[in-house]
Amino acid sequence: MSDKYSNFTLQEMMAVAAAREIKDGEKVIIGTGLPLLGAFLAQKTHAPNMVAIYESGAIDCKPMVTPFSVADSVLVPGSAMQGGLMEGLGVVHAGDLDVGFLGGAQIDKYGNLNTHVIGNYRSPKVRFAGSGGSNDIGAGCKRTVVMMLQQKQRFPEKVDFVTTPGYFSGGKEREKYGFYGNGPSVVISTMGILRFDPETKEMYLESYHPGVKIEDIKANTGWDLKIAKNVRETERPAPELIRILREECDPTGVFLKKAE
Amino acid sequence: MKKSKVMTAKEAVSQFIQDGMTVGVGGFFHSISYALTHEIIRQKRKHLTICQPSFNEHADQMIGAGCVDRIISSYVWMEVFGPLYCFRRAMEKGVPHKIEMEDYTNFAVMARYLAGALGIPYIPINSMKGSDMVNYSAWMGENKAKVVKDPFGSGYEHVLVPALQPEVGYFHCQRADEEGNSQMWGIWGDMPWSMRACKKVIVSCEEIVPRELIGRDPNRTIVPAYKVVAVVPSPFGAHPKHCQGYYDVDRDFIFKYIRESRTPDGWQKFMDEWVYGVADRNEYIKKFIDDAGIKKYLDLKAKDISCTSVNYGF
Repeated sequence: MSDKYSNFTLQEMMAVAAAREIKDGEKVIIGTGLPLLGAFLAQKTHAPNMVAIYESGAIDCKPMVTPFSVADSVLVPGSAMQGGLMEGLGVVHAGDLDVGFLGGAQIDKYGNLNTHVIGNYRSPKVRFAGSGGSNDIGAGCKRTVVMMLQQKQRFPEKVDFVTTPGYFSGGKEREKYGFYGNGPSVVISTMGILRFDPETKEMYLESYHPGVKIEDIKANTGWDLKIAKNVRETERPAPELIRILREECDPTGVFLKKAE
Repeated sequence: MKKSKVMTAKEAVSQFIQDGMTVGVGGFFHSISYALTHEIIRQKRKHLTICQPSFNEHADQMIGAGCVDRIISSYVWMEVFGPLYCFRRAMEKGVPHKIEMEDYTNFAVMARYLAGALGIPYIPINSMKGSDMVNYSAWMGENKAKVVKDPFGSGYEHVLVPALQPEVGYFHCQRADEEGNSQMWGIWGDMPWSMRACKKVIVSCEEIVPRELIGRDPNRTIVPAYKVVAVVPSPFGAHPKHCQGYYDVDRDFIFKYIRESRTPDGWQKFMDEWVYGVADRNEYIKKFIDDAGIKKYLDLKAKDISCTSVNYGF
């Protein structure tokens, strides 16, 4: 493999990390941007039988070109089934899906997500979009994969508003709600990969991305972040994966910025 | 032959959408009636409660124009394109005036519509449980959502949300007949449940087709004529959004709106040009072609990816 694909951007590495979270045969609801590229990459490599589902009601999509939006018209021709929100989110609500991708303005120590406000709900400093399908996906999908920009204010100890519950205050608290979904399994941040302790449900650092120091990640987290005993560098993507990502998943550069 | 309900956007809005009404808006990114939205703005409707699972710039334009007091939704944003500044100014600073929003989830609004369409008073959902959306409400107070113990003994609590039945709804689809039998394909968005839940429906469409053509493919009909009070022929009526089989989304135009609406002055300038400055959709199309060029207009036109027909024989 030429050098062309041995260098990779942070964005590309996060898309590869997202792909690794998907197992073959799983039913996955995907958004736009990196989750979309991650899911496409998974489908083109280790998970050819993945079923791609969009909130807009497209089930088992095989788009001819990279979709820009979750409701792009390119999603429709070639899909196994096309409906609307009731179809796209109905299957999520029913607990049929394995994986859902989420993002947000804030995530806290126990994986609770906020996509509503920064500050007070009634007089917000910044108002964001709202839940959209985020809360539905968090409640219904067996596990969720969260992709986040890692900054201290985005990783507070407690979110300003709970849009999509993670593990509430930790431990077994989530279990009493009877969700079909078991909660977030991983946070792929711009600095590292974080998971949740099986007992306490507290988020911890599993790996740091190449070039990022553990102190930097701690400094960009709003609580005293625990570090895995066997913490390591995030696995670097194989050049072949970078080639597929650039040449097959996003050949026109809809989402991927060109590597420097 | 039944009575034709075909009329202009101007006539439909002036007859059926009044100040203070609760209005259901149809679509999910795809096939949103900008033809009717812009007419509502030109006719300066006030104090509307607008409802849609996910809103985009059409809501932002109505909010900026002062048409909206209340929003029932889960989302007001334009996805990867960016934020909607009139919505943010209204929610953060009360500009041009304060608005209220009842925050639900995308599915929860659909569930409210489903209950409305089926004529049942409320519906239990799995979403929203344990979130701050059940702890905070706006004008609906404790009637926004209720958390109740499952009376059938699962041991869990569930969130109940009330039926939503807007006084009037409007949406855009590919084709309808003169009575209002409306056919839509591609991404249905909140249809058919949103429009079936509305008491009255205004449809804007790319084409008017004969009733006979509707009957050749009745599985594609999403709203029957008896719900529909007005049929507004509006080719290119969803621009800058897409309409499957007719034209693609105009990303440049959406980015332009978001860029210009960053300031109230920029927003006003955009609206003077594209909404207040045109009398109707025909003038809008003419202006679009003059402005963007015929090539851009033709580039947006959909490719032909037609399906095979099926046999409805008996």
